Amino acid sequence: MTNKRLDRKDVKRAAWTWMFFHHCAQNYERMQGLAFCHTMSKALEKLYGDDEEELKSALTRHMQFFNTEPQLGSIIPGITLALEEGRANHEVDTNLILSTKNALMGPFAGIGDSLVMGTYSPILLSIAIGLSQDGSPVGAIFFIIAWLGTVVPMKYFLFMKGYDLGIDAVKIMMNDRVKNMITTALTIVGLVVIGGVASTTVAAPIKFVFTAGEMSVSIQDILNKIMPTLVPMLLTLGCWWLADKRKWSGNKLILGILGLAAVLVILGIM
Amino acid sequence: MSLFQALLIGIFAYLGRNQVPWLFGTTGGFYCVGRPLVAGFIVGLILGDVTTGILCGVAIQAMYIGQIVPGGAMPSDVNYASYIGIPLAMAAGGGAEAAIALAIPLGALGTAMHNFTMTLNSIWVHRGDKCAAKGDVKGIMISNLCGTIPHLIERVTIVAIACYFGAPAAEAILNALPEIVLRFLQVGGKMLPALGFALLLKQIVAEKWMIILFIFGWIIMQSTGMTTTALTLVSVAIALMFVMAKYGNSSATNKEEMQGDDGYDE
Repeated sequence: MTNKRLDRKDVKRAAWTWMFFHHCAQNYERMQGLAFCHTMSKALEKLYGDDEEELKSALTRHMQFFNTEPQLGSIIPGITLALEEGRANHEVDTNLILSTKNALMGPFAGIGDSLVMGTYSPILLSIAIGLSQDGSPVGAIFFIIAWLGTVVPMKYFLFMKGYDLGIDAVKIMMNDRVKNMITTALTIVGLVVIGGVASTTVAAPIKFVFTAGEMSVSIQDILNKIMPTLVPMLLTLGCWWLADKRKWSGNKLILGILGLAAVLVILGIM
Repeated sequence: MSLFQALLIGIFAYLGRNQVPWLFGTTGGFYCVGRPLVAGFIVGLILGDVTTGILCGVAIQAMYIGQIVPGGAMPSDVNYASYIGIPLAMAAGGGAEAAIALAIPLGALGTAMHNFTMTLNSIWVHRGDKCAAKGDVKGIMISNLCGTIPHLIERVTIVAIACYFGAPAAEAILNALPEIVLRFLQVGGKMLPALGFALLLKQIVAEKWMIILFIFGWIIMQSTGMTTTALTLVSVAIALMFVMAKYGNSSATNKEEMQGDDGYDE
């Protein structure tokens, strides 16, 4: 029996295919299923090329539903590639491949969405908003460089690491201590930076002046003595409370804020 | 706005879409070119007024900063909101407030188009199924690549047409608006970023006490007037101190801590 192995070039080719085409034909029926099959296809052809039936069944099994966060989740096609190589050499059985894919896509979608999309990207965007507040393009350029410069190498590295470690990659990636360290650090940085940027972005200018005879008191002046941006801060925290506790959706909050603004403007307070 | 400029904006709108291979998939596409801030920069370059473009981009970005797209379910399409909203606001001679006012309905329209193309794209999967059954590796590649075509057609045509024909209409509407409505747009535009940050907080704040970190950042920024970069470095220092104190110990100490916790619980 011949030993079928993928060389470095095949793995790199699959990695670049995933890097570029992971969302090409994204759709509600199978999400990234077709892209996953596309990523594996060349390597599968090499592994099962001499057996038509094996190739057909291999391609078909990677056409099924697949959905994860494609940045962090690029480790999954990497792991799957290593497993398919094992299967071609009768070391791994088909069920392990399918169950690994299905077991990993959910957790990686969750971690990826909350860590990369929900925390890392907003931190960079917050810094960028701060840099661009006066209309200078520095913030936008900073975001493009910082984002692409970190996430593109990470995506490639994770794919290759997934292939190198195979099923062991799962243990390393799911290491709670490292995961907690990264999450905690990003959360702290994120909250402080976002607080700072929100303070310069959200505004609620009160123009109402209280007049009694000759005496007139500007409400905004009084508030400024307590804390200049107290009202926008309370507004933001109020929205957070409504979203978190009362489960208000984004659209409901938009309508709520616009309604509040309309009332305040009509009453002449703002 | 010339037809050429409108077409160029349409092409960038497509590049900032979800189903696009060109710029490292979604990494450089939806999550980079598709961000309202970057869109504002690009639209500003195309229309020859980077400053206004960036200001509009910042406003829309702040409003949508807390939005993630889990499982392709898009709450509001930031791509339409920025690539139609910013050019129209600029062409009408309005600023950030006009861009935000346009962004909200456009975001909803974009979501409808997103759902339409995401459903339509199933045809490529069925083509892929047939190719897989025949063992046709090249066919699978072609099916996957074809998936981007509906989005190319949809984004470029709709965005270009909306920018080209919408600009005079947007200008006429903006000029006809009474004073109080303009004031409302200004106030609403300044208050709406609260929504973006609130949704972001909802995702990040896992335990109640963490909200104090947000308030801390807010107050430090307001009372010292330091730059965002300086604040970032301060927060990195705090994060490192915390992480080192909590996880930096040797594994032996960690075990002791865990046992201590257990004892406390019992």
